[in-house]
Amino acid sequence: MTRAEIIEKLKDILLSADDRNRETIETCDERSNLALDLGFTSISTLYMVIAIEEVFSIRFDNVGMSDFETLGDVVDYIEKKLS
Amino acid sequence: MNKAKNKKLFSMRYLFYDFVKITSAIPGLLWFRPKWRFQNENAKKKIRGGAIAISNHDGFFDPIYLMFAIWYRRHRFICRKEFFESRARPFFKGFLCIPIDKNSFGIDSFREITDSLKAGYLVSMFPEGQINSGEEIAAFKSGVVLMAMQGKAPIVPVYIKVKRHFWNRVVFVIGEPIDLIALYGERPTFSQIESIAQLLREREEALKAIIN
Repeated sequence: MTRAEIIEKLKDILLSADDRNRETIETCDERSNLALDLGFTSISTLYMVIAIEEVFSIRFDNVGMSDFETLGDVVDYIEKKLS
Repeated sequence: MNKAKNKKLFSMRYLFYDFVKITSAIPGLLWFRPKWRFQNENAKKKIRGGAIAISNHDGFFDPIYLMFAIWYRRHRFICRKEFFESRARPFFKGFLCIPIDKNSFGIDSFREITDSLKAGYLVSMFPEGQINSGEEIAAFKSGVVLMAMQGKAPIVPVYIKVKRHFWNRVVFVIGEPIDLIALYGERPTFSQIESIAQLLREREEALKAIIN
């Protein structure tokens, strides 16, 4: 799976979860900061982790809010887990 | 509701918990003289299988009160990981507590909570997040919603009115279990999660109003 495909899937997850930030999510890219640009909290990070595990069939190690700064960090992590 | 898979009536794992519970029952009953009130007929039904008990958090002894309120179940309390790193670790472990890092709530703690719910345990917590010395119930953290959804467990709200003087009685108000999945589906949006946390706080306020 390419990075672009991973980002598209991540956007789908975020669009279904966050109904207030549609425009920001549609235009976000790998440099988007999860907390500052997408308004992530520790709970949204957990939510995203659960959804990613289901969609990509991977299992996260113990991660928290501080482990991912940008969307690119999440893509890196998923790519590593898929390889 | 998850069926209880931990059907063992006794296990070495529960030895410390059950010993403390049994030996403190009579002194506790005499000192607290607890009184139970119920929101409605549904609230009177015994809680079976995996569930989350939530309560207001006014003081250090609230976990003990909550254990009295739902006396017929073993509680797995969520507590700060700092307690597990102290010399009191064996005590908290013996009490089946689940440690969480308040600063960076990780997926491992979350999994332990949801796995416990799926295994049929009663997980107990104080969604205000810390001891609240004010009169008003503080805003609830939304993590409890995600735990209930992922653990497929109902939430049982309990309001505890502590005794201010030795002649007072401790009053427990048990609320009707709330099945969030039946109300909102398995995957609510972020804004729905926040609204549900607000709804839980309102339910807690409603229980408080019953005795005030």
